[in-house]
Amino acid sequence: MIRRTLAITRKEIIHIIRDPRSLTMMFLMPVMQLILLGYTATTDVEHLATAVLDQDRTQQSRELVDAYRASNYFDILYYVRSEEELARLIDEGQAKTGIIIPTGYGRSLTSENQASVAFIIDGSMPSVATTAFSAAHTVAQAQSTKLIEKVYGIDVEAQPGIDVRPRVWYNPDMKSASFMIPGLIAMILQIQSSIFTALSIAREKEEGTIEQLIVTPLRSIELIVGKVIPYIVVSLFNLIEVLLIGVIWFGVPINGNVLLLLALGLLALLVSLGIGLFNSTIAGTQQEAIFLTFFLMLPFIFLSGFFFPLEAMPKVLQWISYVIPLRYMIVITRGIILKGVGLSILWDQAVALALFAIVMLALAAVRFRKQL
Amino acid sequence: MSSRIFYVIYKEFIHIVRDPRTLAIMLVFPVMELILLGYAVTTDVEHLPAVVLDQDLTAQSRDLIEAYRASNYFDLTRYVNSEEELRRLVDKGQARAGLIIPAGYGHDLKKEGKAQVSVVIDGTDPTVATTAFSAAQTIAQAQSLELAQEIMGLDPENLPGVSVHTRVWYNPDMKSVNFMIPGLIGLILQFLTTLFTALAIVREREQGTIEQLIVTPIRPWELILGKVAPYVAIAFFALGEILVIGVFWFGVPIHGSVTLLLALSVLFLLTTLGFGILISTIARTQQEAMYLSFLTLIPALFLGGFFFPLEAMPQVLQWISYVVPLRYMLVIIRGIVLKGVGLRILAGEVTAIAIFGIVIFSVASRRFRKRLE
Repeated sequence: MIRRTLAITRKEIIHIIRDPRSLTMMFLMPVMQLILLGYTATTDVEHLATAVLDQDRTQQSRELVDAYRASNYFDILYYVRSEEELARLIDEGQAKTGIIIPTGYGRSLTSENQASVAFIIDGSMPSVATTAFSAAHTVAQAQSTKLIEKVYGIDVEAQPGIDVRPRVWYNPDMKSASFMIPGLIAMILQIQSSIFTALSIAREKEEGTIEQLIVTPLRSIELIVGKVIPYIVVSLFNLIEVLLIGVIWFGVPINGNVLLLLALGLLALLVSLGIGLFNSTIAGTQQEAIFLTFFLMLPFIFLSGFFFPLEAMPKVLQWISYVIPLRYMIVITRGIILKGVGLSILWDQAVALALFAIVMLALAAVRFRKQL
Repeated sequence: MSSRIFYVIYKEFIHIVRDPRTLAIMLVFPVMELILLGYAVTTDVEHLPAVVLDQDLTAQSRDLIEAYRASNYFDLTRYVNSEEELRRLVDKGQARAGLIIPAGYGHDLKKEGKAQVSVVIDGTDPTVATTAFSAAQTIAQAQSLELAQEIMGLDPENLPGVSVHTRVWYNPDMKSVNFMIPGLIGLILQFLTTLFTALAIVREREQGTIEQLIVTPIRPWELILGKVAPYVAIAFFALGEILVIGVFWFGVPIHGSVTLLLALSVLFLLTTLGFGILISTIARTQQEAMYLSFLTLIPALFLGGFFFPLEAMPQVLQWISYVVPLRYMLVIIRGIVLKGVGLRILAGEVTAIAIFGIVIFSVASRRFRKRLE
């Protein structure tokens, strides 16, 4: 039995090697995703292009503009002369925010200690707009505090109050690469290997070679195991590749046990191989297999907590997320890599993953045998 | 000539209709993506599960807990008795933040007017952590201000200061859906047309049927046009789907001209179909074609500004983003849908996608013709 399985494995390896471009892609794709995610997935925007319409032109108005500049959030790139000009810059996207200081700002500040300015924010990208929104208020508050100190002659630092000491655990610098890389490891394990498996079986179907395999004394379990072994190896290799680049290049610390990560990674691989096999029993052609995987990939990406926090989603989507195996794997990879926790904390996630593996593989095997 | 194109289109349609599952996926795909993006993509975190370790148990500590609860940012669901318990809950991910009020908090606050508390934040997800971080401080500041006013007898209504009136343009409620849906149009246009065109042509090559087409009197460009036309139709159907659901279900307002949007989408298709044809001339198998399509789609997804703001990226990636056509298309779609601007403002982006379209499409069709001959 082992001999027959290995024969299939050898045949699959020959298939893989004969297509060196696809092989290269298998190894390059995770690296590309890693680099793109590591560098681009960040919403902490600084240096927003800002236009200033200073209708006041006093020392006070210049101080305010300087305070905004000094905050690092805003790059004062344009001084404009009219609201139309400001609107045009924001319409064109050249400026994301605009400060309008009305005439009389300086005078009212000196005489009444109070003044107001208008702050325009391009809201089309909410993550940027939220940052700009709070930065606009924070800077003005700091200015107000200074003013209070001057007017009342008091030191705000020494005032009564509650001092909050935030301590950020696990990812103290709040780096998005540290957040993304464990998630990416889970995603690669889950998605890549299910595409490989689904495609390799759909290809045999499409080319009609599956019939030749059926007439051999091969049992369906041998066929399945033989076909997936090379892809398990490729996926494990990918996992190590991503881990190494994450640690060495992006400086992501691995706080937990690497062996546990690999062991549970193998469990996640079984789930995705099960999904891949299941897809291959549904799809008649490679094209169908590709689309089916895509179709599944989206809920996987969005409802697993990979990009966006599950807590912020509507309840219904949160419920659906429980049937998405990637959800559990992401908790595991982040738990081990960032939090440094072990099985005593993650056991329930591991159990969920094991259940998925058993159910998916059993379903796939039953359907597969029927088809053969 | 036109009848020959028609036959190729007809043949391609038969291919599509014979595979109803793929067709269904093509049509359901944009809807599913829309719903997921519309509901699942939100970074405005509220109701973070949080735990409280109140070692003080005074009226003052309860006041502070109330203030955190009332803020909507934190759901103080659990009270724990020790730091270990708090740690365990945060480790498990059942709590994202923890408020620790040390013994003596109430006493210090009464006697000295000053006290200290700790807030523990799970930093794994930086977006969530940043929100929690600033919310924790804002709440304490508000409490402090009340305290200061009480002690010093200041009138909060009449404090000196600069007030900022923020006006958020284009998307005043800062809703993620309004941002995501226009972006999705660009992404789906590229995704569907590039991948499908590449796969449709490579399939003929893989199965050897392309030779049969070559020996017919069909000219290469007729073959290309005929093969891509059905996918263009599907892409536009998807575009319509997204627009209709976006407007009627998610309430996304379209401020600009829909006709202009459609016209510029056609221009953009030159680029994406060009990519598809180009890939089909390089790839020998469908698997390769899929990988090569990914190779154009994944950078477009990340460097086009679909999810993450380009401004926040390293300078090198920002430069690279200039050769990503989707970047310009997203500016155009968001400009038309959200900002309601027209050609006058978008002239630069339109020129860019026109140049990309002409260059990529002509390179692709030249290579395609060569491969046929």
